[in-house]
Amino acid sequence: MTISRRSLFGLLLQGIGVTLIVNQRVPVAQAAGEEPAWNESGPLTVRVTRPFDAETPVREFIPFLTPNHRFFVRSHFGPPPAEALSEANWTLRVGGLVERSHEFTLKDVRQMEAVTITAVVQCSGNGRAFHRPKVPGVQWERGAVGNAEWTGVRLRDLLAKAGVQTGARHVQFQGADRPVVASVPLFTRSIPLEKALHPDTILAYEMNGRPLPLLHGAPLRVITPGWMADSCTKWLTEITVQAEESKGYYMQTAYRVPTTHGEPGAPASGPSTPVEAMVVKSLIAAPQEGETVKSGPVTIQGMAWSGEAKVVKVDVSIDEGKTWESARLVGEDRPYAWRQWQLVWKAKTAGTFTILCRATDARGDQQPATTPWNPSGFLWNGWDRVTVTVAA
Amino acid sequence: MTNAGHCIVFLLIIGLVSLAVVTAAQEEDMATVSAALAPRAEGLIIARCSVCHSPDLIAQQRLPRSRWEATVEKMKHWGAEISDGEADLLVRYLSARYHPGAPDHLPPLDCDLRKAEPFTQEPVAEGPLTGVAARGAGIFENNCQGCHGTGATGGMGPKLAKNPILKHEDLFWETVLHGRGPMPAWGSVLSHQDIADIHAWLVTR
Repeated sequence: MTISRRSLFGLLLQGIGVTLIVNQRVPVAQAAGEEPAWNESGPLTVRVTRPFDAETPVREFIPFLTPNHRFFVRSHFGPPPAEALSEANWTLRVGGLVERSHEFTLKDVRQMEAVTITAVVQCSGNGRAFHRPKVPGVQWERGAVGNAEWTGVRLRDLLAKAGVQTGARHVQFQGADRPVVASVPLFTRSIPLEKALHPDTILAYEMNGRPLPLLHGAPLRVITPGWMADSCTKWLTEITVQAEESKGYYMQTAYRVPTTHGEPGAPASGPSTPVEAMVVKSLIAAPQEGETVKSGPVTIQGMAWSGEAKVVKVDVSIDEGKTWESARLVGEDRPYAWRQWQLVWKAKTAGTFTILCRATDARGDQQPATTPWNPSGFLWNGWDRVTVTVAA
Repeated sequence: MTNAGHCIVFLLIIGLVSLAVVTAAQEEDMATVSAALAPRAEGLIIARCSVCHSPDLIAQQRLPRSRWEATVEKMKHWGAEISDGEADLLVRYLSARYHPGAPDHLPPLDCDLRKAEPFTQEPVAEGPLTGVAARGAGIFENNCQGCHGTGATGGMGPKLAKNPILKHEDLFWETVLHGRGPMPAWGSVLSHQDIADIHAWLVTR
């Protein structure tokens, strides 16, 4: 049985509970989300219909693990044809500066030692919509992030089978996804060898105990715990060990931040560095924006994470940051996962209140009120902010 | 291009279409500009930009003209089939409608409420138009190939060579004019003669 890509895409969307308007002419402005659409009703808030980009509504972050069907989705070109990823057709080629080029089948990969790591995966542009002046790109708000259990093999075990040559400094990843127009650069990325050989850097084939879904990179996806998701290549088919960072747009131009903060609004110029580790960040998952709560004790809860250090403190403010009260860190405490937190707020007076939160990690890094502006709007970690009404 | 106290008439001749836009030199009324340019610009967005991404990606941006220019230039560089005149029109439209001061939620365009009509107003055909296959090849390449592949052998969109829809001309026309599923409507981009030419070429594949 053959299945067209269009019907496959339709099935995919149904699979994640998104209703696409089909067989109906969609005017530009409506397709552009300028009229009330599906945005707030489904398990995901759609930012771009094609290629499909969608974020998780923050209320869904109350559980420690983000369910697969609610996990944010981002790619540059959308999933490759399912046939290319089938067990019979898919292989992973490892080459470049290695002793023995190697081609792995999925069976080969599954026969290697499996490891499971709980890790936050976050889009580098998460929170881009909050930068001022506004910057181009998908206008992610708060939900291009999630916390999942990833099961797979250590990248270093795989590289050991091929034998890394001296002189190797970077490991390049190429997925099977392709642009519609061949002149668009491929999404080719690399990470430094040190990160590639880290025992926690894995190639995952399971997500939250289930086979990795197509939208999340099936059959195999790179997971670089603590680092932004631009390193977490989906639909992985090729690994190249090399002396240099990858060439091309997505490494040399995109996914970079200036090494020194420039004038807000000015185009990118001067030296820059690839987006790698996540910055310390926290979100308020409850109460929700615009919610009305009864006066009396109100449980404020959320999550906090940082790239390469443990979260040690989360503070909450009800007075625009004049005074802060420490929340209680609760639940699971795992190295690359987010940490849940709670604070019971005694809401005594009726009115409108803005709840702020900020996290601090073990290195002493603390969330700023707003993140320094950068031309691509990466690494937003300004205080999270939710406005609620207290009813008498 | 501004000259205080004077009005400037821009005459843009793009393909078969000519569009004249008069604006006051200073104080350009952005809403007026975007509305005036909308029919052609939206057609271009569907025909050129939507090959790779849905228009919602465009509509969520709020950028100054310089960044729209850079963005359109980047897309041209990456292979978007946009002539210099079309790029200029797009930049004018995008920076008038999606500028940094524009509200988050824009009202729908008036032209969305009308049914899109072909730009080239042709007399109602007395019967099916006669397509010219040789001409259709080029029109297909510029408009359809991005999704339907080289030689109509399929890509992100279905294979059209030997596709049964070619034998059902009413369904073919309906699909091209009004869109179907992920395929956008082409009624405001292609003339009836263009569509007939494409059809004539497709049946030879």
